[in-house]
Amino acid sequence: MKLSFSAQDETFREEVATWMGENLTGEFAQMRYRGGPGDEHVFVEERKAWERKLHGGGWTCIGWPEAYGGRGATIEQQVIFNEEYARAGGPGRMGHIGETLTGPTLIAYGTDEQRERYLPGILRGEDFWCQGYSEPSAGSDLANVKTRAIKDKDSGQWKISGQKVWTSLAHESEYCFVIARTDSESVGNKGLGFFLVTLDQPGVDIRPIQQMTGTSEFNEVFFDEAVCADSDLVGAPGDGWKVAMGLLGFERGVSTLGQQMLFQNELDEIVRLAKVNGASQDPALRQRIADAHIGLRIMRYNSMRMLSGGGDDGSLQKEAMIYKLYWSSWHRNLGKLAMDVMGPESEVLDAAPYELSRLQAMYLFTRADTIYGGTNQIQRNIIAERALGMPREPRG
Amino acid sequence: MDFTFSEDQYLFRDSVGEFLRNEVTPERIRAGWESPTGRDDALWQALTELGVTGLTVPESHGGLGMSAVDFVLLAQECGYVALPEPLVNTALVAVPVLQAVGGELAATWLPKVADGSARVVCGLANNQLAEDAHVADLLLWCEGDALFALHPGQFTARANASVDPSRRLYAIAIEPGVEPVLTGAAANAVGGLAMRRGALGAAAQCLGLAQRMIDMSVAYTSDRQQFGKPIGSFQAVKHHMANVAVRLEYAKPAVARAAYSLFTDDPGAQRHVAHAKLAACDAANLAAKHSIQVHGAMGYTWEVDLHIFMKKAWALAGTWGDSGFHKACVMDYLMYDDARLGATGTFS
Repeated sequence: MKLSFSAQDETFREEVATWMGENLTGEFAQMRYRGGPGDEHVFVEERKAWERKLHGGGWTCIGWPEAYGGRGATIEQQVIFNEEYARAGGPGRMGHIGETLTGPTLIAYGTDEQRERYLPGILRGEDFWCQGYSEPSAGSDLANVKTRAIKDKDSGQWKISGQKVWTSLAHESEYCFVIARTDSESVGNKGLGFFLVTLDQPGVDIRPIQQMTGTSEFNEVFFDEAVCADSDLVGAPGDGWKVAMGLLGFERGVSTLGQQMLFQNELDEIVRLAKVNGASQDPALRQRIADAHIGLRIMRYNSMRMLSGGGDDGSLQKEAMIYKLYWSSWHRNLGKLAMDVMGPESEVLDAAPYELSRLQAMYLFTRADTIYGGTNQIQRNIIAERALGMPREPRG
Repeated sequence: MDFTFSEDQYLFRDSVGEFLRNEVTPERIRAGWESPTGRDDALWQALTELGVTGLTVPESHGGLGMSAVDFVLLAQECGYVALPEPLVNTALVAVPVLQAVGGELAATWLPKVADGSARVVCGLANNQLAEDAHVADLLLWCEGDALFALHPGQFTARANASVDPSRRLYAIAIEPGVEPVLTGAAANAVGGLAMRRGALGAAAQCLGLAQRMIDMSVAYTSDRQQFGKPIGSFQAVKHHMANVAVRLEYAKPAVARAAYSLFTDDPGAQRHVAHAKLAACDAANLAAKHSIQVHGAMGYTWEVDLHIFMKKAWALAGTWGDSGFHKACVMDYLMYDDARLGATGTFS
């Protein structure tokens, strides 16, 4: 056990901090601390430009192997990058789905052709990705996807038809990875394929869904014989579930770091506000602020533990299973805490017709945290059955 | 950076853990409730022979020179079996206090701890009562601005029966004329050290207790049938246990972090221990709450062993600083104007 960073790592920290200080300026300065959870709709074009700026400094995809254009950064360096990025107020990353989900998935499961075609665009901050998993009848029961992919005998291409829903940032994306049924007779997690689909084509219709924040971060995506080349199928027909689940594993790895740093910024803002408006004198609120601080420290320790090789008795695997339940519950409580610290002002809009303050938007957005990406109830089923070995519930 | 225990640390934990699980059965704990001292000399002897009483004693005094990081996994095992003997107190609190005092006191008593010829425990007046003062050959007692090293006969110990019959607690009254070994700032510093160490020991034991209650509840609900199925297959039951599992798994690195801070004399050690104690006691309390619920009426009986572990967890939550005490430490840090907030400082 060694809970500190090396001198070399601290040099790396200097490098990140200096670059951020020199570059998050001018036209980009207005985006500091913006674009986080509940705030994704702001400065979209500017944040895309920022991704290209980051690439210019070599700061996109730093954890990817050098062979694919990354830095092959160590875990420590990735921790430090995320710390310094957040400390400088770096805006919510537009490219995170491509960088943390698509990239690692293609590196692990893709073909050379797929890597050559898609990784450079992600790296350069030019191509943005979204995740085509959920459907109207496939939410908690994700394996119940109905979207089908039929291989056209003449062209050899796949034609995809069906509907995805709750697709975050589809309206800002070039590509979507889609799980669809390659075997129309199949049920459940058998007979699925994992497709890399170009969104800008006649067979794709993206309709933003207005959320209770008044803004739209997610969408319905309709596929009507959307075309996908056979070379854009990841793995074989029938491998879709394996690839889709492998991708979710990446979701719980280093990509958690950036999220936790955003959480830290939110908590700090709440602490600052509490000191200014006197809420810090309220004994009940002080306790809840302390609880929030402890909860976040614990989340960060756990990520450090997981990333430095796990824990005892297979808890690395357990960790991956419990992470979503922990952070979503914590973040939901943080949202409520923010409103209680704001006091009566928590009800008052920043501006008509429906301009929310950053904390208000965060509060509303966090109502969804315990639902998307696997509800808390589904997470508890998984933890009880797979981590604790409790008797399985009859399904189907 | 490395946030893991070593292979050796796990191996040691496993071997001592196996011994404890075989020897410290619920039957043996119940037998202790009936004995006047509540302490099992044969068991202490066996622990001595295993070498665990002297683990943290420096090698120069005949021990193994292990750190808080090495020992903290073992303290979890002590919690798992609800060990009544004061092993955690001796190894994690009393030995470092002796080292801090140093001099002849340390030179005399550390070898005796290592070879098992004496039992040394440490108590704080802040805890009001001292654990195991009745079997101590030396009681290190922190009271106000003074630290006493008390031999039997230098104090009277009035028994206060505990809700947990395994715990033996005593009100301490020092005989007139007994002089402290340290006073003033030096005594205060040692008292703080004892508090941090004791809190870490309680936290680590709570992790083990929570794990034991989970294991008991998973076994019970996998076996117990209602509506023709094991009750553990019902979501209403399994969600309770999933919540406990998450709380426990996430408390573990907080305890590891605190142990590391004590090992490295981190300036934030007090706060890290506070985190650990709050998180671990919280996990154990939640384990108790949900475990008794999923055991149904059986969990409320004297016959079923669950209450052995619940009562120990409840007791540990209230001693070596209760949740109010430790939370105040965190709050003071957060509300202090110069607190180092911000996304950096993963290990601050």
